[in-house]
Amino acid sequence: MDSAIKAVNLTKYYGRLLAVDHMNFEVKKGEIFGFLGPNGAGKTTTVRMLTGISKPTEGTAEVMGYDIQRQSVEAKELMGIVPDISNVYTDLSAWGNLIFTGRLYDIRRVERERRAKELLELFGLYNRRHEMVQGFSRGMKRRLCIAMALMNKSSILFLDEPTSGLDVQSVLTIRNLVRKLNHEGLTIFLTTHNMDEANQMCDRVAIIKRGKMAAIDTPERLKRTIRKLQFLEVSFVGATRGLTTNLKTIQGVTEVAKHGDKYRLYTEDPPTVLSAIWEYVSVNDLKILSVNTLGPSLEDVFVKLTGINPEVGHEEGLKT
Amino acid sequence: MVGIKRLFKEIRVAWAIGEKDIRIYYAKPPSLMFGILFPFSMFLTFVIGRNIPIDRAIPVLVAQTLFFASSSIGPITIPLERRTRTFDRFLSAPVSLSTVLLGKTIAGFIYGVGVSIIPILIGVAFFQSNVTDLFALIAGMILSALGFAAMGIMFASLPGQGPGQVMMPLNFVRIPLLFISGVFVPVKDLPAWGQVLSMFSPLTHSIELVRGGLGGENFFGSLVNIGVLSFYLVVFLLVGIRFHIRNQRKE
Repeated sequence: MDSAIKAVNLTKYYGRLLAVDHMNFEVKKGEIFGFLGPNGAGKTTTVRMLTGISKPTEGTAEVMGYDIQRQSVEAKELMGIVPDISNVYTDLSAWGNLIFTGRLYDIRRVERERRAKELLELFGLYNRRHEMVQGFSRGMKRRLCIAMALMNKSSILFLDEPTSGLDVQSVLTIRNLVRKLNHEGLTIFLTTHNMDEANQMCDRVAIIKRGKMAAIDTPERLKRTIRKLQFLEVSFVGATRGLTTNLKTIQGVTEVAKHGDKYRLYTEDPPTVLSAIWEYVSVNDLKILSVNTLGPSLEDVFVKLTGINPEVGHEEGLKT
Repeated sequence: MVGIKRLFKEIRVAWAIGEKDIRIYYAKPPSLMFGILFPFSMFLTFVIGRNIPIDRAIPVLVAQTLFFASSSIGPITIPLERRTRTFDRFLSAPVSLSTVLLGKTIAGFIYGVGVSIIPILIGVAFFQSNVTDLFALIAGMILSALGFAAMGIMFASLPGQGPGQVMMPLNFVRIPLLFISGVFVPVKDLPAWGQVLSMFSPLTHSIELVRGGLGGENFFGSLVNIGVLSFYLVVFLLVGIRFHIRNQRKE
């Protein structure tokens, strides 16, 4: 049994609204699996069904080989959950939060105290263990929330936006901890809006759109699916107004976009366009300051697959 | 054997949830207001300026505090935990929803018993109240505190993310019950239709048992009181669990 999660036709209706539409996917044991999608795409609903918080209208899901509906106790014993907000008890100390979590999982006293100490040390909170959590920073609450999810020695960790709204130090600390936990064998199900984070951390990603699976693969393979999003990024000395329009006339360029002092020339054939640019520069008395050939980012793949229109700020499909 | 082990595990977890609620919520302003201040002020409104004998007043105060204190904890903790999403911790924990609600009921039960024991001690120490039927008093306190705590849990299944949204409909039920339960007018002095109506109020039987325990007269008799309170306890528990399960399906 290699699957940590197996979702078959997972569906959720809220009244007449179809939030998750017959979703099928598999997460392998030991991988960091990214779950991406725009707001309202059904990410959180899917996670809530996988973790037993919400019941599917149709379909089934297995977590670590246990059916989340029929064997929910066994499945829940093996999972840790970090929701998008740090749902810690602010009226308890960090120690109190971990001990209560241990009791919720019916961990014996000696073991839960040992585990709480170990996790507080791992997450850098041991020296402040007796302080009320309401005085903690957002980053500290986030770390505590992850520590609570690990109290039961879970085999799979669901992380929903783990670094959202945190300072750089906290983001790096949490990412390092997640990598370390994954290296130790923990399967990670990571829901995130942060494409860079998904690109850096995930073995595979799934992109969902309006409750349906739009794509599922490794980040690099997904990027390769959209060859036409390769581009040359060129910075010119002496760039003039109207340069964007002129650059579009170069053969092989499909689109030009200005990003700060750089111009992105999208093409399916970067070498040919590169030669054409040298020619264009010499004819028009321009100088090149820098030139880079870049492939599509995961964000580009995400934008393409979800149909987000950056100019209007929401999905094209939702406009009608 | 596995079943018994599981049962003990669920009891331990329910107790952990109850104990956590005691530590976090007992001293919160809504608990103090709805669980202590409210019944005591209602009581003072009832006795001040009226020549009510102490043997009639103490049982009313005891039953009233049991009623308000026990039924207030669930409607405070559950909406607050829904708002902070800490309630999700229970839903994703390897325990049944019934265990979670049992834990919440335990918290309400202990709060009700803890608060209502104070007027008994005051009555015995300063006003010559006598415990004449310990069984009736204990049965009354236990069944009332459990039943009213379960009633609070049942109301806490109402949608809403703040205690106020649950307290308002709850008070729509709690306050009218005071008028038909022998609080202001003893059941024996009520008109016949009032006596029939009072029979259906759990608060009537709570007051009657406590009054019987403290040497007062009991209109319906202890067995009827125990039977009705037990009936309500089971109904409130079952309906509460059902409503919360229905809520989870909507999640």
